[in-house]
Amino acid sequence: MSAMHDAAPARLTTLERRRYATNIVGWGLCTLAFLLIAVPLLDLVLTVTLKGASAFSIELFTTSTNGVTGGLQNAIIGTLVLSLGSLLIATPIGIGAGIYLSEYGSNRLAATVRFLADTLTGTPSIVLGYFSYITMVIGLGWKFSALAGAITLAIMVVPYLARITELSLRRVPTSMREAAYALGARDHTVASRIVLAAAAPGVITGVLLSLAISVGETAPLIYTAGWSNYLWTGKLTNEPIGYLTYVIWTFINEPNPESHALAFAAALLVMLVVLAINIGVRMVMRRDP
Amino acid sequence: MRSDNKLRRSVLLRSGAAALLVAGIGAGVASAAQTVTLTETGSTLLYPLFNIWVPHFEKAHPGIRVTTQGTGSGTGIAQAIKGLVQIGASDAYMSNGQLKQNPGILNIPLAISAQSINYNIPGLNGHHLVFSGPVLADIYSGKITNWDSPAIAKLNPGVKLPNHKIIPVHRTDGSGDTFIFSQYLSFSTPEWNSKVGYGTSISWPAVQGGLGAQGNPGMVEALKGNKFSIAYVGVSFTKQIDAAKLGTAKLVNRAGKALLPTASTISAAAAALGDKTPADERISLVFAPGANSYPIINYEYAIVNKKQPNKATADAVKTLLTWASNEGNSEQYLKQVHFKALPKKIRELSAKQIAQIGS
Amino acid sequence: MSKVKPFRLAMAAVALVIPLALAAIVFFLARYSWQAIGFNGLRFLWTINWNLGNLYGNTVMRHGYEVPPGANYGILAFIVGTLFSSFLAILFAVPVSVGAAMFLSEKAPARMRPWLTMLVELVAVVPSVVFGLWGIFVLVPLIANWISPAITATLGFIPFFNMSNSTGSGYGLLAASIVLALMITPIITTTLYDALNQVPRELRESAYALGATHFEVVTSTMLPTARVTLIGGIVLALGRALGETMAVLMVSGGALNYLPGTIFTPISTMAAFILSQLDSALQDPSNMAVKSLAEIALVLFVITVLVNAAARLLVRRTINVRNA
Repeated sequence: MSAMHDAAPARLTTLERRRYATNIVGWGLCTLAFLLIAVPLLDLVLTVTLKGASAFSIELFTTSTNGVTGGLQNAIIGTLVLSLGSLLIATPIGIGAGIYLSEYGSNRLAATVRFLADTLTGTPSIVLGYFSYITMVIGLGWKFSALAGAITLAIMVVPYLARITELSLRRVPTSMREAAYALGARDHTVASRIVLAAAAPGVITGVLLSLAISVGETAPLIYTAGWSNYLWTGKLTNEPIGYLTYVIWTFINEPNPESHALAFAAALLVMLVVLAINIGVRMVMRRDP
Repeated sequence: MRSDNKLRRSVLLRSGAAALLVAGIGAGVASAAQTVTLTETGSTLLYPLFNIWVPHFEKAHPGIRVTTQGTGSGTGIAQAIKGLVQIGASDAYMSNGQLKQNPGILNIPLAISAQSINYNIPGLNGHHLVFSGPVLADIYSGKITNWDSPAIAKLNPGVKLPNHKIIPVHRTDGSGDTFIFSQYLSFSTPEWNSKVGYGTSISWPAVQGGLGAQGNPGMVEALKGNKFSIAYVGVSFTKQIDAAKLGTAKLVNRAGKALLPTASTISAAAAALGDKTPADERISLVFAPGANSYPIINYEYAIVNKKQPNKATADAVKTLLTWASNEGNSEQYLKQVHFKALPKKIRELSAKQIAQIGS
Repeated sequence: MSKVKPFRLAMAAVALVIPLALAAIVFFLARYSWQAIGFNGLRFLWTINWNLGNLYGNTVMRHGYEVPPGANYGILAFIVGTLFSSFLAILFAVPVSVGAAMFLSEKAPARMRPWLTMLVELVAVVPSVVFGLWGIFVLVPLIANWISPAITATLGFIPFFNMSNSTGSGYGLLAASIVLALMITPIITTTLYDALNQVPRELRESAYALGATHFEVVTSTMLPTARVTLIGGIVLALGRALGETMAVLMVSGGALNYLPGTIFTPISTMAAFILSQLDSALQDPSNMAVKSLAEIALVLFVITVLVNAAARLLVRRTINVRNA
C-alpha cells in the first residue's frame, strides 16, 4: 500500500480517493456534531441574557413578587436560604463521608457506600421530592417549609460532596499522612489539620459545585418549599418560602409580558450563579491540576 | 499561593452572601413580627381577582399578608384539606366523599364567575359560533372530528366552516374549570354523563391530536399557538382572549337559546338557582333554567378548615373572607374580571359559615 | 490487640447517612404505595388509561380496597412516553456525542481545546428548568414552523413522521427528545473524550505508519478500544434521561391516556406525570390515587437504579469536576 505522505503521488486510485473523501467528510461531520452542541448552548445563554437583562432594574432586587408581577427579592433571598441551608446540612456529612471513604475506606463497606452514593446521584429529583413530601411535609407535619426544602436539597448534593472530597483527599501524598502519624498525631488531627487542609481547594470546589446544583433545582422544591410572595420570616417549619426556579417555571405560563420578563430575569440570575461557579471551578482546576 | 487566593475569594463570596442573607432575613423577621401571613392557592380562574384584591386588602388591614398562587382548583382543595395553605380557591365545591373524610372543611363562595368556550379559527374569530352541550361532548369524545361537520353546521346555518380537524384542548391539572365544563357536558348529554361524568380531573376520552394545558393561562397559550383549536377558559381571562383576537362562542342553554357570557346572562343564571343554595353552599349553578341564563356559571369557593392552628390565623382568615365577600364584591374589582357579585342572601349564608372558623 | 478507633468509627457513621437516606427513600415509597401495588397488580404496567374514577361519587370496595367508582390506574402511556423519549434522545445524542468527542480530542486546535471542552461541559450544568424555558421559547416554535414541515416533506410517507396526523403545535415527543438529547450529550462526550485521550500513543502511531488517514486512525483503531467505556457512558446518559423532569414537563405537551401516533404528538413521561398530577391525585378521598403515584415513583426509581448500576459496571469512573 503506497504511503499517503509521499511528496507527489503519481495518481490516486479510486480507493485512495474515497478514503481521502471519507477523511474530509468525516471530520466535517465531527465539526458539525460539535457545533450542534455548542450552538444551542450559546443560543440559550444569549436568549436568557438578552430577555433577562431587559427586565433588570433596581426594583427587581428591592421588591418582592406580587401575584404575577413585581420583583424578585423574596425569590432571591429564598434561593439563598434554601441553598446555603442545604450546604449547612450537607457539608459536614459529605466531608465526613469523604474522609471515611478516602482515609479508611478500602473495605467492602466503603465500596458499598461508594456504589450507593452513585445510586443516589442517579435518583430522579422528583422521586426525592415526593419522598420528602410524604415524610416531612405531611408525615412530620412541617407543611411547606424551608427546612423540608433544605433537607431535600441536602440529600441531593451529599453524594457529590462525598465523592469529590474523597477524590481530593486521595490526591494528597501518603507521605504527608505518614509524617504526621510519625510525629504522634491522632486520627482526627491527621484527617482535619493535615489531609483536609492540603486538599482544601478541591473540597471547596465540591462545595461550590453543590451550591450550583442546589441553586438550579426545581422539582425537589415544588412540594417541599411551597411558595411565598414575602421575604423569609426565619421560620424553619410551617411556613412556605419562595425561590427563583419557581418563578421561572410558573411565571412563563402566565399570559402577560411582565411575568415572562420576570421568568427570564430569574433564569438569568440562576444561570449567572451556576455558570460563574462552574467556569470558575474549571479554570482553577486547569491552573492547579 | 493560588489556592490561598481561591480560598480567600470563596470565603469573601460566602461572607458576602451571608451578609445579604442576614440583611434580608432581618427585614423579613422585622416585618413578620406583628403580621400574620396567609397563603392562598388554587383556582386559576379566581387567581386574577385575588391578585387584584390583595394590595387593597393589605392596605385596609396592614397586619395581614397574603401570598397567592394560581395552581388549579384541585390543588386548592387538596392543600386546604391538608392544612398546607389556609385558603384553597376552587371553582368546584367538595364532593360528598371528600366532606365525609374531612368534615371540618367549609366551602365559602366569594364571587360568581363564569366560563367561556373559545376557539381559534382563521377568519371566524370575530364571529360568535354557536355550540351546544351535546356537540361539545362529541367534540371532546372524538366523535366529531372536523369543523365543518353537519352537527356544527346545523347550529351555525350560513357560516362557512373550514374543512379542518378540530384540536380540543383540555386541562391536565386538577381544574375547577374542568369541573364546571364537564358538568355542562354531563347535565346536557346523558351519554357523557354515564361514560365520563364530571370532576376536577376526569378521564378524557382519547382524541388523537388533543392537547393538554396547565392552568387557564395554558389554555389561552394553547389557543394562540394552535389554529383550529377549541378550549374552555374562565371569563377572568377575557382580556387576554380579546387581545389575542380569539373567538368566543355562544352556548345553548337549558331553554335552547344560544348566549354569550355577559353580565345579564350570568346574573340571570345566578338568580335562577341562587335560592336553591343550601346552608353549606355546595351547589352547581351549571345549566340553569331560564331563557336568559348562561349555562356555565359557578360560585368561586374558598375552601377553608373550620379549625385553624391559632387564634391569630383564624381571625386573619375570617377578616380576609369577610372583606372579600363584601368590599371585594364591589364593581371596581369584579368588572376587571367579568365576575358578578354575590346576592345578599348568599352573602349572609357565607357570613354564617365564616363565623364557624375558629382555633 | 485491636483498639477501637473512635474517629474512624465516627466518620464511618457519617458515611452511613448515604445508604440510610437511600434505604429511607425506598422504604417510605414502598410502604406508602403498598396498597396501590396490591390494588393495581401487574395490569398497572400495561393499561393505557389513568382513570381517577368519579371523584364526586361515593367510594366503593373493589378487590378489597376502597377506591372511587370507576378508578383504574394504568401507566403504560407514561412508560411508553418515558422510554420513547429517552431512546430517541440516545439516538440523537450518540452520533453527535461521538463526533464531538472525536472533534475535541483530535481536530480542535490545541490552544482552544480547553475552552471548547469546557463549553460542552457547561451544557451539562444548565438547570433543567432553564432548558425548559429555552425549549418553550426557541425550540417549540422551531419545531412547529420549520422542523415538522421538513420532516413531513422528506419522511411523510411514513405515518409516524407525518404531521398531518397530529396537531403541529411543536410540543410533543420530538421536542422532549431533542431537549433530552442536548442535556445528555455532555455525559457521553466527556466520557468518550477522556477515553480517547487515554489511548496509548503507540496505537495511533502504528496506525499512521500503516498509511491510515486521520479519520481512519480514530475510527478504526482508537474508538474500538473505548467501546466498553462508550457503552457505559451511553447507559449513564440513558439513566439521566429517564429521570429528567422539568425540561420534559415544559415541552412535552402533557398527554393523557393515549400513545403517541407520530413523532410530533404530545407525550407524558413518568417523572413529569408525578409532578403535574400530585394535586389532582390528592383530591381522591380514598387516597388510592396518591398511593398509585407513589407506585409510579417507585417504578421510576427501580428503573433508574438498574440502569445506573449497569452503567457503573461498564464504566469504572470516578466522579470528578466534569461529571458532577
